[in-house]
Amino acid sequence: MKILLVEDDRRAAEYLARGLTDLGHVITHAYDGEAGLTLAMAGGFDAIVLDRMLPKLDGLEIVKRLRADGASVPVLILSALDEVDERIQGLRAGGDDYLTKPYHLEELTARLEALARRHGEVAPSSRVVIADLELDTRNRRVSRAGRKIELTAREFQLLEFLMRHAHQVVTRTMILEGVWDYHFDPKTNVIDVHISRLRQAIDKGFEKPLLHTVRGAGYTISEDP
Amino acid sequence: MNRVSLARSSIARLALLYTLVLAASMVAVLGTAYVLTSRIIERGTEQLIGAEAQGLAEDFQKNDLDSFVNLIVQRADDPWVRGGVYELRGPSGDFLAGNVVAMPDAKKSSNGWIEFEVTTSRHDENIGRRIRAKITDLSNGFHLLVGRDVQDRQTFRHVMLQSLGWAIAATLVFGLIGGFWLSRRISRTAAAISANAARIASGAPGERLPTTGSGDEIDGLIGRFNELLERVDTLTATLRAVIDSTAHDLRGHLNRIRGAAQDTARLLTTEAQTQAQTQVLTEIDRLGATLQGLLRIALAESGTAPLESVDFSSVVQDLYELYEPTAPGRLSASIAPHLLVRGHRQLLAQAVANLIDNALKYGLDQPVQLQLTQVDQQARLEVHDGGPGIPEESRELALHRFRRLPGASGLPGSGLGLSLVAAVARLHQAELRFADNDPGLTVILNIPLQQETTAAPEPGH
Repeated sequence: MKILLVEDDRRAAEYLARGLTDLGHVITHAYDGEAGLTLAMAGGFDAIVLDRMLPKLDGLEIVKRLRADGASVPVLILSALDEVDERIQGLRAGGDDYLTKPYHLEELTARLEALARRHGEVAPSSRVVIADLELDTRNRRVSRAGRKIELTAREFQLLEFLMRHAHQVVTRTMILEGVWDYHFDPKTNVIDVHISRLRQAIDKGFEKPLLHTVRGAGYTISEDP
Repeated sequence: MNRVSLARSSIARLALLYTLVLAASMVAVLGTAYVLTSRIIERGTEQLIGAEAQGLAEDFQKNDLDSFVNLIVQRADDPWVRGGVYELRGPSGDFLAGNVVAMPDAKKSSNGWIEFEVTTSRHDENIGRRIRAKITDLSNGFHLLVGRDVQDRQTFRHVMLQSLGWAIAATLVFGLIGGFWLSRRISRTAAAISANAARIASGAPGERLPTTGSGDEIDGLIGRFNELLERVDTLTATLRAVIDSTAHDLRGHLNRIRGAAQDTARLLTTEAQTQAQTQVLTEIDRLGATLQGLLRIALAESGTAPLESVDFSSVVQDLYELYEPTAPGRLSASIAPHLLVRGHRQLLAQAVANLIDNALKYGLDQPVQLQLTQVDQQARLEVHDGGPGIPEESRELALHRFRRLPGASGLPGSGLGLSLVAAVARLHQAELRFADNDPGLTVILNIPLQQETTAAPEPGH
């Protein structure tokens, strides 16, 4: 992915750029808002990582101008401010996701990949298929190898979220945000327990597991581990 | 909104007191006028009678009895024109002349004054008249009564008393009507101010109380109040700026530290080194979580978190569903639906999560019950556990930051969970308290329900 990183904290930017480069991404770096906006307007990026507070031009202002200009490139806003209400402002301004510092590199890359993937997608289909697992949102049916699987409403939402992010890593916080719409640290292993219940439902009795744990990052649904 | 009842209104009490004082002063003024006037009239009558009686006594000395009798007859001739009453009696009490039928039996006072009623017939009509008279002892045992009709004085007294009564009644009626109107007007204004103030207090920063434009004392008061609000807003904004810049600074540092620690991965060659790096990262994350907790508490306490209409029932239901699988069979819930509160969904969710997490963690594997009910105008969340509970004397302490009670040391936790709940409760003007679950602890969170109508009445000016 070609990623534009707009971050005035040079050292933090350097660590992040190195981490992302190691993962095979190409990073362009801007250290202030104006330079960031100029580069972003020029286009050619798959995603933008934008610090919320920047010298010369505020992060939110950059997103607003980009959106006003018709640019649809996915923007992940990084912020050192608490997300509980800053997040809403960030998304309202046109950001696609919001992450609070200090972040885990795994969390940031998982979110970036999800954003970039979603951006390339056409309108989401009501039917999602991974290997022999099928999910239909219209009649809320799930089946694997033609066998109907009974899920609770929440388990269905969780499976849909995972399947719409198939072959990508989704973190626990992404799941809590995407499925429950809560943005706090649940402290305990709540998400793991829900995943293990879902795993019981969709993988038990089948030779090939589809729901995999990605150590140190989260989960992924895929035919290959 | 706290509408003060008229009976409890200080303005109404003041108006009533004022009316009573006004009525009392009316009694004093009119009463004094009455007493003084009637005394002057009485004195005039007495002087007139005294002078005439004295003159007649002198005539009695100078003239013989017959001509004196004639004189009396003459004077008594047309008593109602001159208003005079006369009677002369001889030594044996026999009637000699006059226009009164008989010397009345009325007791005379020591100086000879008497008062009595006579009935005279005039134009075929019996009229009762009040007479004031003086009985003079003439020489040789003769008695002369000279009197005057004082019916006018009586009428005056009557009219005076009547008007006094009317004046008091009018004062009371107008005073009470005026007082009622005044207190209604002022209490309406006060209620409007109080409703607006309550709205601003429950999270409408930047808003001010509307002045009435009349420039009166109430406007002055509203002005002072708005200055206070201005000051509160400034302080809140400063506080928020401090929180934000602290957050920005500390999180920035922590982010660089985490980035550096993670970046060392490329230098690590041995398993021991990797383990050390993992430990460092874990500690950084723990520090990050603590910082996050503190900042959330500060945010909740600053009162700057934006509030909106939140279905608290669905928040509690979500959290119940989220935590239920972590302790299968232990967690149960009974949740009244659609309890709307004015709140911050994320902070409320975090507070409920902390309460459930605590109950499961400290509840000694005993069942934990969530209960959400409506009690009066409040949503009441109760979290019951079967653990050791918190002794009465430690309950206040449990809400303090970083305070971990004995028995908690072996369990993971930062000591911020309950203080966050307390801060969130304050943000929502909610009450947080502990009760005994016998055995175990019950945590009770009472959040005011959202008012159906939030529009404040206009000041009744």
